[in-house]
Amino acid sequence: MSVQSPAPQKKPWFLALLSALDGIFVYLTAGISTREFRAMLRGDAPGRPNTRLTPHADAFLLHIKPSYYHESVTRFTHTYRLGLLSTYLFLFETITGIILMIWYAPTPERAYVDMIRLLNNVPFGQLMRDLHRIGAELMVGIVTLHMVRTYLTGSYKPPREFTWLTGVLLLVITLFLSFSGYLLPWDQLAFWAVTIGTSMAEAVPPVFVGEIINLLARGAPDIGASGLLRFYLLHVLFLPLLLILFFFVHYYKVVLYGISLPAQEEEVGEDTANRVPANRRVYYLPEVLLDEGTFLLAVTAIITAVTVFLFQAPLEHIANPQQTPFHTVAPWYFYWLQGLLKIADKMWAGVIIPGVLLVMLMAIPYLDRNPSRRGADRRVATISGIVAGVLMIILSWMGTPAYAVQGAPALEVVEKLMPEEKVGISRKIGYKHIPLGTYDSREPITTDDAEFAKLLDEFVHLLEVWEEKAPDFNDPWGLLTVTQDQANLKLLRWEITWISNAGTEEYFKQDYWLHKDSYYWEQYGRKKFGVPEFLEMQNGG
Amino acid sequence: MRSLYVRSFGSKLIWGLVSSFVIVVCVGLTAQTEETRMEIQTRNWEGRGIENGAVIFANNCATCHGQQGQGLQGVAPALNSRYFFTRRLGDVGQDGVMTLSNYVYLTVAAGRPSKDNSQWANRMVPWSSQFGGPLRGDQVVDVVAYVMNYEETALQQTASEDPFQPFLDVAKPPEFQNIGISADAEWTPVQLAVTSVLPMGDRDPDYLFGALACSGCHKLDEPQAPSSMGESGPNFGTIHELGTYRPEAAADPAAYIKESIVSPDAFRVESYDDAMPDDFASRMTEEEIDRLVQWLLDPDRVTHTRDAEGNIIDE
Ligand code: HEM
Ligand code: HEM
Repeated sequence: MSVQSPAPQKKPWFLALLSALDGIFVYLTAGISTREFRAMLRGDAPGRPNTRLTPHADAFLLHIKPSYYHESVTRFTHTYRLGLLSTYLFLFETITGIILMIWYAPTPERAYVDMIRLLNNVPFGQLMRDLHRIGAELMVGIVTLHMVRTYLTGSYKPPREFTWLTGVLLLVITLFLSFSGYLLPWDQLAFWAVTIGTSMAEAVPPVFVGEIINLLARGAPDIGASGLLRFYLLHVLFLPLLLILFFFVHYYKVVLYGISLPAQEEEVGEDTANRVPANRRVYYLPEVLLDEGTFLLAVTAIITAVTVFLFQAPLEHIANPQQTPFHTVAPWYFYWLQGLLKIADKMWAGVIIPGVLLVMLMAIPYLDRNPSRRGADRRVATISGIVAGVLMIILSWMGTPAYAVQGAPALEVVEKLMPEEKVGISRKIGYKHIPLGTYDSREPITTDDAEFAKLLDEFVHLLEVWEEKAPDFNDPWGLLTVTQDQANLKLLRWEITWISNAGTEEYFKQDYWLHKDSYYWEQYGRKKFGVPEFLEMQNGG
Repeated sequence: MRSLYVRSFGSKLIWGLVSSFVIVVCVGLTAQTEETRMEIQTRNWEGRGIENGAVIFANNCATCHGQQGQGLQGVAPALNSRYFFTRRLGDVGQDGVMTLSNYVYLTVAAGRPSKDNSQWANRMVPWSSQFGGPLRGDQVVDVVAYVMNYEETALQQTASEDPFQPFLDVAKPPEFQNIGISADAEWTPVQLAVTSVLPMGDRDPDYLFGALACSGCHKLDEPQAPSSMGESGPNFGTIHELGTYRPEAAADPAAYIKESIVSPDAFRVESYDDAMPDDFASRMTEEEIDRLVQWLLDPDRVTHTRDAEGNIIDE
């Protein structure tokens, strides 16, 4: 016995194929038909019922996005897309970070060597590292700017207090993410920045609590294998997960209350962000999506171009716990803390002041009872914000070695000409511009090499500057002796002699070696890896 | 403020396309230059490794192997040596077994466990922290790179320029070490015994200090203090202040120092082993020893730079 099925309707095969393709398209876009898509591209208004809303109901990634915005908040100059950009940079960091993980093992024996291997042997390895690094610096900056913008537009006022609070947590997580990543290359820069950073935790009272926190972070009294592993796990696992969690809380609140309108759009004390009149709606699909998409593409293009032509993530000498660098510096976003440490003791600068600042930052929405978000009504808030910003900048400047840190004058002079890390004038002019011989700062400069003459000139000049500046540095004179230590390896011996106030002759000596092939990229102002003549130039041409 | 919001659909699309184009071009450029970049980076990090190695060599190895790797008689062999780069591996039976660089690496990392059949005053300690030494793994790698970088200058040496002293530890007797070494017929071992070039008699103390290899174990410019103990023997930087490290001898430091030179085992601080040769009395005249003691106790003692024949060459 057979079941009689209804005769299938005959359709030309190509129409059948088209409708099948259309089906796939609808499936992939979670509800947009090809016809609707073409209408979008033409810029037609949505039909009724508006099928462009379906994806917001059906698609996971879109369901967290509002289906339309108030026209006034889609203007670039309202949000500057900084929240979006923060989110994107996190995604960007996650992708580049996971790629880096392929070539990275978090042990003191391997981390630094892996970095070099990544730079030497992995195609696009350096690009990935540079992108990750520049993205990290950028993310800290953008998240901070995003905070500044929500502060200036008063967007933390009711009902958005909690949005602000989770935002502050996100800022803290971002800072820690960047800081934990900072250690991973395991070079001097990383090691000492993190050593200073974690030592601040030690100041938490009472003493044993501080010690325990420090011990937990470092995994041992000093940073070593355990500390590196802990920072690595924080960096690639714990902190990203924490950030994702708080991001969703943050963003849920943003969508729940809507992005605050420009203050002029509504009465003082009112919040109409979620009551968007039909004539001022801008739909996410396609307008805002396209807008955000092109914006992020443009940002990516800029980041890529800057990275490819200009930026290189630093990599100093391998971490050496036995050798404190001449100047230890925190990452730039912690300069302000370092500045504080110079004027207050560890307890105040490392724990109390930052703690109070953080609590105050979180409490801003609850402290500021002024209902108005209009600039004219918020002079006090705006001015205190600006004052706080300026203070931060001043403190940050005080955090740099430029302020109140001064080594021995002789050391400072040599450090300028040929620093322990980085380039300095000597490495900048490079191996071939440093002729063999002995050069005495008291004698007239006689060299055919104009670049080298400049270096000697600077030597003389710096000695004069420091003689003036330092009280205990009289009649200094210097000697630079360049010898050929090995094939392709020159030894630069810097010697400085001066008279102390006690009338005794003092002497300082520093040896640095310079290899013909060592490439301090700052030497050339921008990357010139690709230029074939560069290879010849390096070969001594 | 004029809004920057670009409303036009078309212009957004163009912005998007231009940006994508920029990204593609940047990545494409990178792809094209990756080979060169990797080559430059490889050489860069090799160069920096040698720079690092130079510092480590100067701080740890140069006291025995010489600032220029020329070695020090009776203390440590020359490394900046044609013999070393052409023959040494074969003489220790490792030709074809390992590379010279591996041989250097092993020696630096693990040291030389035995002093048998060797003329060197001390055995070389293990340097790698893996074997209880002071250097990290990466530092060993760098210092090996530095030593290997002597190759170019070493291979240009003629036989008489090669500062090498024949090793006593090789299978073949030293007289035969030169056979087949190169086309240079006049390649002969220069000195076989561990003695100074100048004849016994009235040699200067500062010369003796180097020629008899005291300098291999005693540092002249570093103080002897609990925080700065000489590693193989006491430092002499402050010997004129301390007089002696032996309390009961304080009254007459010169006598004690002399005793230490003539019969080193008479008194020895426990932390040092009995590495100091006990035949100095037969290698210096009484007068020379006395002058050496006075020189050691002189706070303004001078050390001259000398050439291979022992002539003073500094001003
Ligand atoms: C990883 C860090 C952060 C991410 C990914 C993020 C993301 C976002 C996004 C996408 C928005 C939507 C509107 C816009 O773009 O301005 C937003 C709004 C907001 N964010 Fe953040 N944010 C972060 C950090 C912060 C911080 C540090 C603060 C302040 C302390 C903050 C406070 C706010 C507030 C108050 C709003 C609501 C703005 C309004 O309604 O006008 N956020 N955030
Ligand atoms: C889940 C996301 C992430 C993963 C899997 C990840 C992974 C990694 C890895 C493996 C490294 C070591 C490679 C290197 O040092 O070049 C690293 C370094 C670093 N990361 Fe991340 N990362 C992530 C997110 C972030 C974020 C969001 C930031 C900043 C806010 C950041 C900042 C840094 C920094 C500053 C370094 C040091 C870069 C350098 O000098 O090379 N990372 N990251």
